[in-house]
Amino acid sequence: MTEIIFNEDTKRFRDSILKIGGAERLMLCYQCGTCTNDCPVAKRIEEFRPRNIARLAMFGQKQQLFSSDLLWLCAGCYTCYEHCPQKVHVSEIISALRRLAFIEGKIHPTIKSLLTALSRYGYIMEIGEFENELREEENLPPAPEPAINEISTIMEKTGTLKKVGGN
Amino acid sequence: MEGTNFLKYAFFVGCTTLGRLPGYEKSTRKLAATLGIELVDMPNSSCCGTTYMEGVDELTALSLAARNICIAEDMGLNILTICNGCTETLTKTNKILKENPEKLKKVNEILKDTGREFKGTVEIKHLLRILKEDYGLENLKKAIVKPYKSLKVSTHYGCHLLRPSDVMSYDDPNQPTSMDEIIEITGAKSVQYPGKMDCCGGPIMGIREDVTWAMGLEKIEVVNKYAQALVTSCPFCFISYERAQLMIDNQKKLPIIHLPQILGLSLGLSEEDIGLRDNKIDSSFLKNNLEARK
Ligand code: SF4
Ligand code: SF4
Repeated sequence: MTEIIFNEDTKRFRDSILKIGGAERLMLCYQCGTCTNDCPVAKRIEEFRPRNIARLAMFGQKQQLFSSDLLWLCAGCYTCYEHCPQKVHVSEIISALRRLAFIEGKIHPTIKSLLTALSRYGYIMEIGEFENELREEENLPPAPEPAINEISTIMEKTGTLKKVGGN
Repeated sequence: MEGTNFLKYAFFVGCTTLGRLPGYEKSTRKLAATLGIELVDMPNSSCCGTTYMEGVDELTALSLAARNICIAEDMGLNILTICNGCTETLTKTNKILKENPEKLKKVNEILKDTGREFKGTVEIKHLLRILKEDYGLENLKKAIVKPYKSLKVSTHYGCHLLRPSDVMSYDDPNQPTSMDEIIEITGAKSVQYPGKMDCCGGPIMGIREDVTWAMGLEKIEVVNKYAQALVTSCPFCFISYERAQLMIDNQKKLPIIHLPQILGLSLGLSEEDIGLRDNKIDSSFLKNNLEARK
């Protein structure tokens, strides 16, 4: 286990996690390890331990949580959500941590590129003329035109457009 | 369709199927037409908003999803989805905005400049759920014209169709049975296997590909012992299981089949109708298992 450091910042960080919807039950974690035991990613990646993520979050260890790809390795399968005896929902803790990271502009490049595509094309990939020609060959109607202006209006208003590098 | 109330839905296809899986979309459209279910395309609809966006900015995710729901509200139709991810994103948004006036206010404030407003008048259901709850298994049974003779398959539900269970409120998050019930109506046997609710690993394909393939191949290896194919209800799961196998040469390939494809053949549709040739692992053996037309 990694070293835990306490100070005002770590307490403040812990409190900011607890304020996010879905993460309110963090402090009820009693470190039983059910989440790590049942997590399909933990089974294959040594450093990905949902129980340890809960522990680091309880102690507000932002440095350790944000310093690697850790938060972006969760597959979002909700096994920990369904199985936690305390309903801590590590999947939601991870979501809360990702949201806090994103406020600081931190996001995994792959996820960023999907969201950039969303802001540009209205889809997580380009579905344009070429794709629509293929669709036609398969006797499928053209894909809906996603009203990009509406998408960028939304993303501009929430402040995400800039952060994902859209324009 | 005789004995069935007229069913009509706004069809939310979803990015991955629109751009990558014509066979899934085709078989869904043909299946619906055969059963007398009307699917109406959703003008100006976009990506659902994605769990990725939800993971980084909730308000944006809610607003993007709500915009799509608003389109169905204007059409006066409930939404039919075929992707687990879209199903979860739209269902969660619908639930949050119907139950939480504070979030609703914020989202409608964002939507105002697009000329839209979330009203909360429609429901979101995956094709599988519509077949079970709206169409009805009895009616489906009546529509089977070419049952399978001796086909053994296994089902993969994927995570987001059923989880989080307090949001999705459908089937059982650990021991689901609804897809198996539907499969058995076609005369095929749905074989149970250990690890049925194990995740496909799709969401981290772009982050740790090796882990996705490992997760996929573990299930393939197990199912290969029991069944001739794996049936999926989500484009992400489908792609994960196909690609994981295509990465490895010397392995017994397990065909991955979309739910409406396996149903389609037993409803009398052709291989062409269900886009079976779009599947990258040869699945032509399916038709040899059909009984002659009833
Ligand atoms: S989050 Fe839940 S399952 Fe995981 S260690 Fe804490 S109490 Fe146990
Ligand atoms: S949701 Fe994430 S942390 Fe939880 S079990 Fe699944 S992969 Fe592991």
